[in-house]
Amino acid sequence: MQREFRVAPVSRRGALALGAAAVLSGRTAAAAGSILRVALAAGVGSLDPAKFRVGGMETNYAACVFNRLTRLDAAMQVQPDLAIRWEASHDLKSWTFHLHPDVTFHNGRKCTADDVVFTYRRLQDKAVASVMRAFLSVVSDIEAVDPLTIRFTLSMPYADLPAVTSGFQAMILCEATLDTLTTHPIGTGPFRFVEYRPGDRMLLERNPDYFNAGVPKVDSIVLQVMPENTTAVAALESGSVDVVYNLPPEQVERLSHNSAVRVAETASGNWFGIIMHNQMKPFDDPRVRQAIIKLVDKSSFTDIATFGHGTPTVSPIPPTHPYFRKDLLVGADIPGAKRLLAEAGLGDGLMLEMYIPGSSPPLERLATAFRDTAKQVGITVQLHIAPQDKFFAEMEGKVMFNADYFSGRPTPDLMLYAWYHSTGSWNNTLWHYSNPEVDQLLDEARGTTDTAQQAKLYGRFQEIIAKDGPGCVVFVQNFACAVSQKVQNFTTLPLMLMDLSSTALAS
Amino acid sequence: MALYAFKRSAAVLLILTVMSVLVFLATHALPANTAALILGQYSTPETQAALEHKLGLDLPLPVQYWRWAAGILFHGDLGQSLVMERPIAPILWDALGKSAILSVAAMAVVATLGLAMGVVAAVWRGRWPDHVASVFAYLGISVPEFYWGLVLILVFGSTFRLLPTSGAASLSDGIAQFVAHLVLPVITLTLTLLAHVARLTRSSMIEVLDSTYVKVARARGLPERVVIMRHALRNALLPSITVLAQDFGFLIGGIVAVETVFAYPGLGRMLIFSLERQDLPMMQAAILVLTAVYCVANLGADLLYGVFNPRIRYGGAVD
Repeated sequence: MQREFRVAPVSRRGALALGAAAVLSGRTAAAAGSILRVALAAGVGSLDPAKFRVGGMETNYAACVFNRLTRLDAAMQVQPDLAIRWEASHDLKSWTFHLHPDVTFHNGRKCTADDVVFTYRRLQDKAVASVMRAFLSVVSDIEAVDPLTIRFTLSMPYADLPAVTSGFQAMILCEATLDTLTTHPIGTGPFRFVEYRPGDRMLLERNPDYFNAGVPKVDSIVLQVMPENTTAVAALESGSVDVVYNLPPEQVERLSHNSAVRVAETASGNWFGIIMHNQMKPFDDPRVRQAIIKLVDKSSFTDIATFGHGTPTVSPIPPTHPYFRKDLLVGADIPGAKRLLAEAGLGDGLMLEMYIPGSSPPLERLATAFRDTAKQVGITVQLHIAPQDKFFAEMEGKVMFNADYFSGRPTPDLMLYAWYHSTGSWNNTLWHYSNPEVDQLLDEARGTTDTAQQAKLYGRFQEIIAKDGPGCVVFVQNFACAVSQKVQNFTTLPLMLMDLSSTALAS
Repeated sequence: MALYAFKRSAAVLLILTVMSVLVFLATHALPANTAALILGQYSTPETQAALEHKLGLDLPLPVQYWRWAAGILFHGDLGQSLVMERPIAPILWDALGKSAILSVAAMAVVATLGLAMGVVAAVWRGRWPDHVASVFAYLGISVPEFYWGLVLILVFGSTFRLLPTSGAASLSDGIAQFVAHLVLPVITLTLTLLAHVARLTRSSMIEVLDSTYVKVARARGLPERVVIMRHALRNALLPSITVLAQDFGFLIGGIVAVETVFAYPGLGRMLIFSLERQDLPMMQAAILVLTAVYCVANLGADLLYGVFNPRIRYGGAVD
């Protein structure tokens, strides 16, 4: 239904019926205690983290069963996971990670630097075809210096490696159990895998030997596949599930009136925008692009598209990020747009065909809002909604004008470089934009670990994009989960991840 | 009868063979490139070609078909799921079993209720039981099943919290749980299927009740109950049996919406999953099994019809 890193579909999910205690009975004796039941819209594809593409149950199961070297917190800052600390050489071409000393896999084997090296070599293996391979292209060598130390050698200076190692695909695997990875995965995480019934449910149980003392708090987790969100919400209301993952904006309002349930909401990294092909008429004229950008009133467009459950943004850098420049969010400037169009010789109006991938109501509402605004300056927009697979195969990157959406990336470099640098892969697919100053800013930012300097460079980047960008990134979608009031310590993270390790249930 | 059964079975085999070719070709005609889809947006033509080679997608179609069909025929091997990287067969049988439980339960209700409603409507033709039955039947068939499903979830799940609204329980969870999980999906399926059987039974009952032999039976002074149950219904049942068998085929294919709404982990859901993820081998296996179920249900109908109706059994010829 969608490609990797696409925004997970927001319209469907489900829930578990009557007590999960009954569901679990006879399967695990250990499951007698507290059970956290989570409804998700779709099951996992592969259980092999290297193959993850879509998110949802895949990444959330993996975050329970495995650990990465590093992880990202709610402000998208790098935090230790299996690696307790890391340092770079002065030229940023050699990175050393130090492992937590007392980590064991669920089968009792000790987790060492060799497992990390194995995991990363596997991610780099062309035959495995992991999406991480592209992110690791800067890594020329990985070696175990000693059982607790790993060294990455890079082919160029790269400041964001510790964020790259937080990738969901880079879950550290146990080499000895590779052959059962897709049937019974073994990791180091807070929960152990018990069973997965495809299309139905996954059962996880507490890992009593977890290296972080005091967690997890619940005895087991049931991840239940529920494709239809009405079903999931009904199950939450009747108390047969505790959490509904990724609630669509349409459902958030409905639940806000229910006192037994609360909604945990955070701005995600998933961005929605208007894409112009910068080498096709009329968008080869920067004035036309600027006029289109001026038509977009970000806050009202966001409200229309997401019913108030989105957050306006300037670029793919999400509003939760410290580098985000809130001051650059401005309303529409219709007279300004008119003037620019007149200067470009299009004062008499023009006709545009806008293509939209189907199955995304927020995107359709965004396009409709744009169409209605564009009328004011004489632009007639015809909307064409295409089925997703057709859109991604035949239209994206080939049509002049479309609405599109992408899911979040862990670092500003990964969020921006491919989309805005003149050599970037997505830039050369979508908008064909070339701005030497932007190129220079992006190159400079990826070569420094100085956050103040990075903030300055990415700040300047957002200034340019806000006025003279290749297209218009309008908002990021909020990632919302509905949770029962008895669920405590539940956190949602911008990359659509639930942190369940310290979640507890009140009796 | 044996010849008749043989002929019908041979026809089913032929249909299945043709269907397997069609299923194979149809899944290969899908718009997106499978390798590109599996590898995602960072793939290169080079990695795509490597994967296509690994999966055998670069071979000529007839060769690919033969490999697939031979695997099923000679080894009972439905292949490996591309996405899940595990064998398809256990997943498929599990899902088929779940769907079968739901379908059989729904069929039992549809048959009992549908025949009863048909008979009642025919006997009290033009009076209130007939009107009630027909309103009920038309309401059921006119409203799509996903809508009934949502209404039932909101009423029984959210408002009254009487019944589980999602998932399936196995027998090891206890008989009460097992049945409770089936109630709402079965009601939903029943609502959509009832009209077919009820209306058909009604019209054939009316036809039979007006026939000479029923009049004769009445003239002989037999009690009305005996006339209806023994003389009329037995003959009126024939078309209903065919329709029920066809409905069974329809049910196991058309169960997708109900399984989705009630998060019931059956074959329909598995098919959707494989379509969404472009999991070719799983898609092919699921569609083929659905086809087979449909064919076998129809074969069952034909044979049953033969058992009940000698004219068909003997094909008009001397046996």
